[in-house]
Amino acid sequence: MFKNIVFTFVTINSWFFANAQTASGIEEETNIYERIYNAPIRVSRNQQLTFTDLNNKKPLLLALIFTKCAGVCNPFLLQLKENLQFINSDNPFTILVLSFDPRDRLGDMNLLAQKLGLENNKKWIFAVTDSIALLNQSIGFYPRWDSVRSQYDHDALLVGINKEGYITKKLIGIRDKLDLDLLISSVNNIYSPTYRLPNKNILFSCFNYDPKTGKNRPGLGWLFIALPAVLAMSLLLSISFIVHNKLPAE
Amino acid sequence: MESIKIKKITAVWIITVLVLFIVSIVLGILMRLNQGEIIEQSPITFYSNMTTHGLTMIGIWFVAGMAAVNYLMQRYVKTSYTANVIAYVLTVIGVLIFWTTTFVGKFHAGWTFLYPLPFKVMWATWATPLFLVSLTVFGLGWLIWSISLMTQLLKKYSIAQVFAWQHFRKNPKVETPPFILITMITLIGIITCLFAAVILIALFFAEYFSNGNFLNDALLMKNLTYFFGHTIANEMLYLGLAVIYELFSEVSGRPKWRTTWYVALAWNLTLIFILTAFFHHLYMDFAQPEGFQIIGQLASYLASLPAAGVTVFSVFIAVYRTEIKWSLTNLLFFIGVAGWVIGGLGAVIDATITNNVLLHNTLWVPAHFHTYNAMGNVLFSLAFFYWFTNQFTKNIEDGKFTKLTLAILLIGGIGFLLAFYIGGADSIPRRYSNYPTDFTAAAPLATMGAIFATIYLTAILIFFFKIYKGCLKILFSPS
Ligand code: HEM
Repeated sequence: MFKNIVFTFVTINSWFFANAQTASGIEEETNIYERIYNAPIRVSRNQQLTFTDLNNKKPLLLALIFTKCAGVCNPFLLQLKENLQFINSDNPFTILVLSFDPRDRLGDMNLLAQKLGLENNKKWIFAVTDSIALLNQSIGFYPRWDSVRSQYDHDALLVGINKEGYITKKLIGIRDKLDLDLLISSVNNIYSPTYRLPNKNILFSCFNYDPKTGKNRPGLGWLFIALPAVLAMSLLLSISFIVHNKLPAE
Repeated sequence: MESIKIKKITAVWIITVLVLFIVSIVLGILMRLNQGEIIEQSPITFYSNMTTHGLTMIGIWFVAGMAAVNYLMQRYVKTSYTANVIAYVLTVIGVLIFWTTTFVGKFHAGWTFLYPLPFKVMWATWATPLFLVSLTVFGLGWLIWSISLMTQLLKKYSIAQVFAWQHFRKNPKVETPPFILITMITLIGIITCLFAAVILIALFFAEYFSNGNFLNDALLMKNLTYFFGHTIANEMLYLGLAVIYELFSEVSGRPKWRTTWYVALAWNLTLIFILTAFFHHLYMDFAQPEGFQIIGQLASYLASLPAAGVTVFSVFIAVYRTEIKWSLTNLLFFIGVAGWVIGGLGAVIDATITNNVLLHNTLWVPAHFHTYNAMGNVLFSLAFFYWFTNQFTKNIEDGKFTKLTLAILLIGGIGFLLAFYIGGADSIPRRYSNYPTDFTAAAPLATMGAIFATIYLTAILIFFFKIYKGCLKILFSPS
């Protein structure tokens, strides 16, 4: 029952925030294949690491949040946790939850981990950094401070970083398991096919891709590929017929 | 009278092809020098030159084959002088328009002008529609010419005869000469791929004039592009082979080659396979179903094996332990067949899916297609040019000097190609105006390519001066 309520809540929120994220204007395509800033990150009181230390071991899924967030952060992390439970990928990765709010301390992040029930999960790391501006810039992520609400206006952003420290893919908004699968493939340098969106102005496609089933149905375009041979053969037969019916056989 | 006119127009074709060839080689050498960091061209100049070089080369060696076939076909049927002239005029107009788009308009989408590149305008805005117009002009001229030749063959031979099907039975009553069989198979292929080009250009124009109301499907456009591009590049080789089947034995003083059941079968199979081999250009297109990728690989093997097997066998039998009257013509044919086979092997290696993962878009690709063009098809046509000129102007051959020229051609050609092959095996990408520093061997190899290409050009210039004099004589002689 509780799960259902969370899900309904998450779905409504994701719809709301999915719409909100387009307003902020950031795009998933920016900064792809650029190197992430090698920021120092504090993961525990006596452990300071860098991005390179982490991504050298395993590719990273970086979730950018702040603990005092009254908006998308919690549903975003909840959904991420939920989706990852159903992903049994053999490809390695670590989820790094990092605060972009300079007011957040390590204690706040630990509390958040506890609230999510993830404090002992080795796959998840909760951390803070003092190089937020440079890190955000290398990702192309620009949260805006809204002094009226005392909140950041920002997107739910999950960034894929491969073992070499390059950003391979970004997911904006709360996304489903399928997208997460693609993200995990991309940080492991596994090629993921992409399809163009359906467009009513494209009349003659070779295939029509159905995103629901993931299947391709042959389209009218194939007729055009068969047409040249059909035309040539028809021409051959017609000419032969015409010349042999007009001229006496030689 | 008609045959005199055809003789003259053939001479005009030869001079035109050789002049355009020399200009295109110079563009090729400039590209290699730029890649070798010996000269500095802007990327726009490099890619405009690459586009001019690629399409001009394909165009001229196609028309060279057609002109040769047209000339020799008169031995069997009457051919249309008018269609030949129309093709010539439209080819020249097409080249002028095309060169305007690249040299003046800086159009540089490559000779394959893969969709949607022509619409990503990084050149004069008029260059894209004008480029499409130039293709239309070429297509029209070549389609008229091919259909006209096909019609002449069909007037004399029934469909079964022209495809030599009677040779599948014992003691056929009528013999279809190998030249007629190969020409017909090739003409069908040419007409088919020109129809693909017509559809392709129509779709390009439809999108261009639709103001965004009609968009093309990239996969469909890529299929059509290679249906046209791959097929025409192969068919022009077959035109050269038709000439070899007609002339090799004749100039070697050997009995004329005859059509047997296996020659007929091989070429009939080639017709089918060559029209589906282009699928190997789409191995990297995951949206293309796996079945087509497999067809692409099988057709690539099957298209090359019968024709190559039968031709190599025929040439081998003709020269093995027999008294041959060697002349420049049959030497060029012989070396050309070797170039064709070696380039073909390189192509088959690349068309094997497991290898293509490594070789795709590396210099291996220009390596193999330059082998069967620069050291294959070009030599077939040069042999015909020599033979043709020799028919009417005596003694253009002089023993030692000719052999020296041939040696220069071989040294230049092999060195130029080796630089591509080594680069390809080293994973150096193709179509880079400037190589990234990670590819340490790329620039030295390019310089080596440029040096050897210049040696190759020297041989071509010598051939040119000998042939063009003869052609001018033919042109201005009263009969
Ligand atoms: C010695 C003579 C030649 C030289 C120096 C030369 C040089 C070149 C170079 C440097 C390139 C670009 C390679 C790259 O991808 O980096 C190229 C491409 C090409 N060449 Fe040649 N080439 C020669 C002869 C020929 C011949 C005889 C043909 C006949 C068909 C030909 C057809 C092409 C084509 C179709 C391309 C591809 C253009 C494109 O990618 O759009 N070339 N050549």
